[in-house]
Amino acid sequence: MESDASVSNGAGPVQEAKEETLSPEDLSEMLAEGTKEVHEKAENTQFVKDFLRGRIRRELFKLGSVALYYTYTAMEEEIERNKDHPHFAPLYFPVELHRHEALARDLEYFYGPDWQNQISCSQATQHYVDRIHQVGLEDPVLLVAHAYTRYMGDLSGGQVLKKVAQRAMKLPPTGEGLEFYHFDGIHSAKAFKQLYRSRMNELELDMETKKRLVEEAVKAFHFNMEVFQELEEMGKNIQEDVLDAGMPVHGAMGGDINKCPYYAAKMAASGGTAYACQLTMALLRHPTGQVLFATWFAALAGLAAWYLM
Amino acid sequence: MYMEGNKCTQNIQNQSVNMADMDAETTTHTQPMVEEEEPLFSNLDLFLFSLIVGLVIYWFMSRKKPEPIPEFKKLDTPTLTTRETSFIEKMKKTGKNIIVFYGSQTGTAEEFANRLSKDAQRYGMKGMAADPEEYDMGELSRLSEITNSLAIFCMATYGEGDPTDNAQDFYDWLQENDDEDLSGLTYTVFALGNKTYEHYNAMGKYVDKRLEELGAKRIFDLGLGDDDGNLEEDFISWREQFWPAVCEHFGVEASGDESSIRQYELKEHSDINMNKVYTGEIGRLKSFEVQKPPFDSKNPFLAPVTVNRKLNRGGDRHLMHLELDITGSKIRYESGDHVAVFPTNDSALVNKLGQILGVDLDVVISLNNLDEESNKKHPFPCPTTYRTALTHYLDITHPPRTNVLYELAQYATNSKDQENMRKMASSSPEGKALYQSWVLDSCRNILAILEDMPSLRPPIDHLCELLPRLQARYYSIASSSKVHPNSIHICAVVVEYETKTGRINKGVATNWLKNKLVTDNGHKSTVPMYIRKSQFRLPFKATNPVIMIGPGTGIAPFMGFIQERGWLKEQGKEVGETVLYYGCRHKNEDYLYQEELEESEKNGVLTQLNIAFSRDQEHKVYVQHLLKQNKEDIWKLIHTDNAHIYICGDARNMAKDVQTAFHEIAEELGGMTRTQATDYIKKLMTKGRYSQDVWS
Repeated sequence: MESDASVSNGAGPVQEAKEETLSPEDLSEMLAEGTKEVHEKAENTQFVKDFLRGRIRRELFKLGSVALYYTYTAMEEEIERNKDHPHFAPLYFPVELHRHEALARDLEYFYGPDWQNQISCSQATQHYVDRIHQVGLEDPVLLVAHAYTRYMGDLSGGQVLKKVAQRAMKLPPTGEGLEFYHFDGIHSAKAFKQLYRSRMNELELDMETKKRLVEEAVKAFHFNMEVFQELEEMGKNIQEDVLDAGMPVHGAMGGDINKCPYYAAKMAASGGTAYACQLTMALLRHPTGQVLFATWFAALAGLAAWYLM
Repeated sequence: MYMEGNKCTQNIQNQSVNMADMDAETTTHTQPMVEEEEPLFSNLDLFLFSLIVGLVIYWFMSRKKPEPIPEFKKLDTPTLTTRETSFIEKMKKTGKNIIVFYGSQTGTAEEFANRLSKDAQRYGMKGMAADPEEYDMGELSRLSEITNSLAIFCMATYGEGDPTDNAQDFYDWLQENDDEDLSGLTYTVFALGNKTYEHYNAMGKYVDKRLEELGAKRIFDLGLGDDDGNLEEDFISWREQFWPAVCEHFGVEASGDESSIRQYELKEHSDINMNKVYTGEIGRLKSFEVQKPPFDSKNPFLAPVTVNRKLNRGGDRHLMHLELDITGSKIRYESGDHVAVFPTNDSALVNKLGQILGVDLDVVISLNNLDEESNKKHPFPCPTTYRTALTHYLDITHPPRTNVLYELAQYATNSKDQENMRKMASSSPEGKALYQSWVLDSCRNILAILEDMPSLRPPIDHLCELLPRLQARYYSIASSSKVHPNSIHICAVVVEYETKTGRINKGVATNWLKNKLVTDNGHKSTVPMYIRKSQFRLPFKATNPVIMIGPGTGIAPFMGFIQERGWLKEQGKEVGETVLYYGCRHKNEDYLYQEELEESEKNGVLTQLNIAFSRDQEHKVYVQHLLKQNKEDIWKLIHTDNAHIYICGDARNMAKDVQTAFHEIAEELGGMTRTQATDYIKKLMTKGRYSQDVWS
């Protein structure tokens, strides 16, 4: 194809030639372009930023793995359902990509053999899972957007996260707890992503469908960010439990120990008599209590005296 | 709270005063009554008594109250003023000569720094790790005050080429002080980074360069650790070469046992059950006798060889076609995948090693890790014999690395030999050049080194500890699983060449495969193998055009592709353009798979068969020349018909030349500048339309 644009004006021909040679219609490019902004947003959520800096606590990481488990179980279920659908088949790579078994192994490592009874699906995760099922049942082509968002991410930044997590939580070098990040069937993540993109571009879709896919991918990012936010919140509560672990200092400080909810809870938990004892002692420390006690004691003594006489 | 208490106390005190007043009043009233009855204790007395007791108790308890003034524990502020911020003073006080600074965010660089500082001990020196944030880095020039001092920097790069938090001040200091004279500083840098980031190892590289600019003396090359690849391996490799260079630099004598930094301890087994001895298995004992799926890199399948024929008709090379039977193994593969094989060393070579070292190779031994906490108990499966180790587990054909030379130097009884060994392990330009010419260019393997240095006679167990593990070799599978589901085809050329020293070096795997003959008697030749999935795949749609470029043994995966497209055609599917560009030296000598390819062309599976016979005429003709000749057709296929391009074969020259040819075609026929054309091809790669399976 000859470009008959004159070369006199430098800028002009370059632009035209560019548009001719690069195909903006390729789904892989549309997706990359269309999710650039929301990708950056996701990278900059507090949860992710902290994670990358190595600030991730084991309990929170476990909850993250639980969320991933529910997400991938749902997604891979829908992928299985639609594996022969012309709008998904070229992207069917179960051996290379599927994660739910690896995640199950990770959860077993973290929670023990009874892990299935110990976990539950959080609200934000359920939100995400519901959308995945809806898409898989009603509009399977949109499944591509969800697969693209998660798997491509796992094969890129996901690899960095693995190393950070391993060091931050001192997980064993043999990989337990992090099997999610290890793609046994993929020798080169870079080569696989290239293959995956070529397959996405082989899908026979009209422009309108491609645009809808980009929209769905952006939605997928939002679902993920919702989960991050929820994890962030859960993280704050975990913080308080950690602090509670060592707190015997109330009495000596002169503060009113009864104002401390943890102490009260601890006392209530430790049984009635101890509580009553503590309560009495607490009362005695209180000035009004002391007056009342003195008066009561005096009155009692007086009564005894009168009686004896 | 305290104030409240005060107020309360005051009120009570007022009240008690009132009560006391009342008492005083009552006393006067009641006195006559007491006189009348004359008991020991009157009611009133008792009442008063109890009241007083009550008040006393109250007062007693209230006394305690003012004491707990909430005083905060006094903070130990003196630490800041008395803590040592001079690393020079600290080093002098503790007798250290090596200091390892770390720029670390998640702790890796710090860990490396700790390991390096511990290493120093093994070389007769003393090291300490240090956080640059805690010390006055302006003292670097003072290191000259300490004998044999060395500063090592383990610098991680963070984010977009930035220093880690704890190295920010140091970074600023480096940037600001142009007139700092660091000529008294001897240093080296190991950088930690990640290639997926644009500013790969920016911080480490900067420190390395800047220190030199400020006059410091670099003692060893910058080490680059890539977390995207294998950071630990990068570090270990760098470290192995680094310490010998340090010892060289300081003229530290490796004297006898002290310098012998053995990692493993030899144990000879005189009376052992032979069933417990490894005879070449990679993983589980007896895994070669009792085979259990699934088969992978730790548990290979012993595939019988059903075909082993020579492919070329002439010439001095030996090109071969092998077929491995995978029936019953449950192994699945796809065309484009790689088959991994576990070769063994030439027994003649192993025997010569045994002879030259004067040992009985059939002694059963174990090498046990002296570090009990290490995960790696042995360097290779133990217990086993030296013969098995040298045949199955150790690499004895590649030229040994410098750290091996350094460790072996102590066993050279001739002082000149010892000197040369140490020199080659050092980082001096002279030493590097000697290593390059004497070892690398002359292709000397360990046996050659022992032969050419008669005074060098190391103990065999130490040698076994130092030699690297024998690696599996990968071959692009030359068959399609649709056509040959139970057979894996290999196409390879036997490696054999003469070295500068007049020796014949033979490729381990290719010679081993060549000798896997198909026998008529019961005993079958087997190849331990497994499949490594690749991403080299035909397009999903059969109608999509493909351009395959695979000269020499690069034809391998395309035999699989062509078989597969043939199969699809037979199934009645519509198949798109299938174009092949192949190259070899002489049509009558090494035209591989000629019959099969011509057949495929005849029945229309192969829509184009383009062959470059490089040496059949005066001037060389290669595949890239043919590509240029057909540029219009090529451009149409790529630009209009969405063709996928596949390159397989030699990485160094062929792949580059072919890529250049595509650039030229895009320039000419696409009306692009060279830069645009390069970008165009790069984009094809990203989108998975330009794939490469190349080797060097």
